[in-house]
Amino acid sequence: MPQRTIEFGKYGAAGIKGHLAVARQLDALVDYVTTPVTAPRGLHARLRYLTRTPHARAAARAAGLTVTDRTLKAWLGGARRPSRRNLGRIEDAYRTVRRHNVARYLLARLNRSGRGTRVEIHPLNQSGVDRPYQRVVEFRTLNVRRWDRIVDAWAAADDRALDDAWIQQIVDLGSQWGQYEYVTNVGFAA
Amino acid sequence: MVRYDAIDALVAGARQEAELPPADRRRQLREALGLSRAQVARALGVGPSTVGGWENGRDPSGEVRDKYAYFLNSAREKLATLEATSPGSPQAEDDQPAASASSGPEPGPDDAEVEILHAARPCVLCGQPARHQVAGFPQHLDPAACTAAAAASARAPEPARAPEAERGQVRLRPGRQVQAGPEPDLIGDAVATALSQHGGDTEAATAALIKRAIPDAMHLLDVARKGGRYDVVAHPWLPDILRKPSARGSDQIWEARPKWARPALPAGLHQVTNLDINGAYLSALKTHLPIGQLEHSTGDVHDRRRAGVHLITPPVWEHEDVLPNPLGSREEPGPLWVTEPTLRLLLRLSGPKYQLCDRPQIIESFTSGATENLLEKFRLTLKEARDQALAEEDEVTLEYVKAMYAKFVSTMGESNYNRELYRPDWMHLIRSQAFANLWLKAHKAHEAGLEVVSVQGTDELHVIGDWRRVFTEGRAVTEVKVKDVYSLGQASADPAAAGDASD
Repeated sequence: MPQRTIEFGKYGAAGIKGHLAVARQLDALVDYVTTPVTAPRGLHARLRYLTRTPHARAAARAAGLTVTDRTLKAWLGGARRPSRRNLGRIEDAYRTVRRHNVARYLLARLNRSGRGTRVEIHPLNQSGVDRPYQRVVEFRTLNVRRWDRIVDAWAAADDRALDDAWIQQIVDLGSQWGQYEYVTNVGFAA
Repeated sequence: MVRYDAIDALVAGARQEAELPPADRRRQLREALGLSRAQVARALGVGPSTVGGWENGRDPSGEVRDKYAYFLNSAREKLATLEATSPGSPQAEDDQPAASASSGPEPGPDDAEVEILHAARPCVLCGQPARHQVAGFPQHLDPAACTAAAAASARAPEPARAPEAERGQVRLRPGRQVQAGPEPDLIGDAVATALSQHGGDTEAATAALIKRAIPDAMHLLDVARKGGRYDVVAHPWLPDILRKPSARGSDQIWEARPKWARPALPAGLHQVTNLDINGAYLSALKTHLPIGQLEHSTGDVHDRRRAGVHLITPPVWEHEDVLPNPLGSREEPGPLWVTEPTLRLLLRLSGPKYQLCDRPQIIESFTSGATENLLEKFRLTLKEARDQALAEEDEVTLEYVKAMYAKFVSTMGESNYNRELYRPDWMHLIRSQAFANLWLKAHKAHEAGLEVVSVQGTDELHVIGDWRRVFTEGRAVTEVKVKDVYSLGQASADPAAAGDASD
């Protein structure tokens, strides 16, 4: 695609992919357990979230926490500590299940029954670019009305689908949309 | 091939242009009917300035000219009939011949402009039943009827029309009467709605209003920025110094909150007055706020057109015994991140006028182009609502306005109570501005010969002496309020000295 940046950062620009900034902002809007999984309190909170109901257990299993009920019970009771690898799995499963559970409500708030949410797109940082190569890239705002694909891709942690869904939205910025493939920040409220 | 038939049709279609009275007469006619330019313009489908142009000598043409001529003729006839019903008016004589000479059609029910309604509909101007409509808008053709109807109704008449109702005669007042597109009174409407919802229970209404203060303030900000030059950027990229390291932690910005008490009092017993600065955060909304994304720079350069946060090496403060350090009660030595108002205050104090300290050394900065007017309209709206509430002793509005600006400032950073705005930099700047304002008030008292005893928090100033020479007492934002008066110090053994001090 001609609009996509081929060699980002060749002249010293700094930024991240737009869809990563979107995922970051969506994550910021969700309240996760703040205590890290390595602390007993954080571990317990996550395990409780993942095992509270049969539905939650099934969701955790689907999200990759494939340990026996006996092991879960031992972790919860404090008889055993999960290994480092399993801690990573617990964290991943927790984030996946949490995103999945929150997605429905987040989507409703972002779509605002069709009115959509105003998104601020902060352009990439050109302070490291030589003066002759610097370009005027303005701060832009965009009203995104349909968030379904974006939120679905984010909940499923599907990077590629999220990228596609985001690009499909920023194409509405006009022929300059390629300048906003990389950004410093994407801001919106929900 | 030349199309003669088209030319024939064109020539046949050309009509005699309608006669218009001279320019000053047009204006007289409109004003005599008490119509504003905007009203006439709306009815004719043109802009108000266009009507203004016609009244200053320009001439309309085409279809609009016919409409305008028709309006002027109708106005003349209307005036003639009105003057006939109220004898003794000086206008009657010079209007009569003009009306008889007019060639315009009679207003009737089949007219496009003025129609007679068979069932009365509410007038767009006063809300009372009217039997005429102009261009689809039901209204009283005669403003006096409008006023009379409004005064007769149970609804209180609007202040602008009240004098006419008192006069109670058909003398038509020139000038505009209806403001075109008045700004909605968001605060007044919200208070009225809350009061009616809670059946006039002021406590319940206040609680309900305070609960919705944050979204209402954000809405007010949106409305206040309409037509503004700059966008309010709500979610900029932020440097790490402005990010909280954890949920409970704080970022690295030093807001310079004063917490100072005079180390040693002069001998004797003193009457200390605890003064409270009214609406400190409301006044502090006027400060240089960075508009866009903060950009990093190094070096000891201060650009007055930019604002942000600065890492400075603070100057030594040598007046701790009489005046607080403008940096607040900082105990940690070394460089610190301060905000724009604190830096500007320090620069000012190091300048030739004050010469109270050395110039602070700027090490690095995160700044952006700044303006003082970003929140100005928002601030003025709140201030006017506050002033009006004070004049009317309306405690509900007062509490509501207070909650709006206080919560707006406290939640504009990384707060989950307000996700619409994510500007910890602005929050720090506004708070620092409030502290800087308080410091300047303390300095003013000190300069006037009062003894400053304590400067605390955002709005507390304790002074000894006749402070009424320096400050005005009151509740407006420019005035101060007495919170408390107390005695301090040891009464000296000499009764005469003690008597002097307690005065």
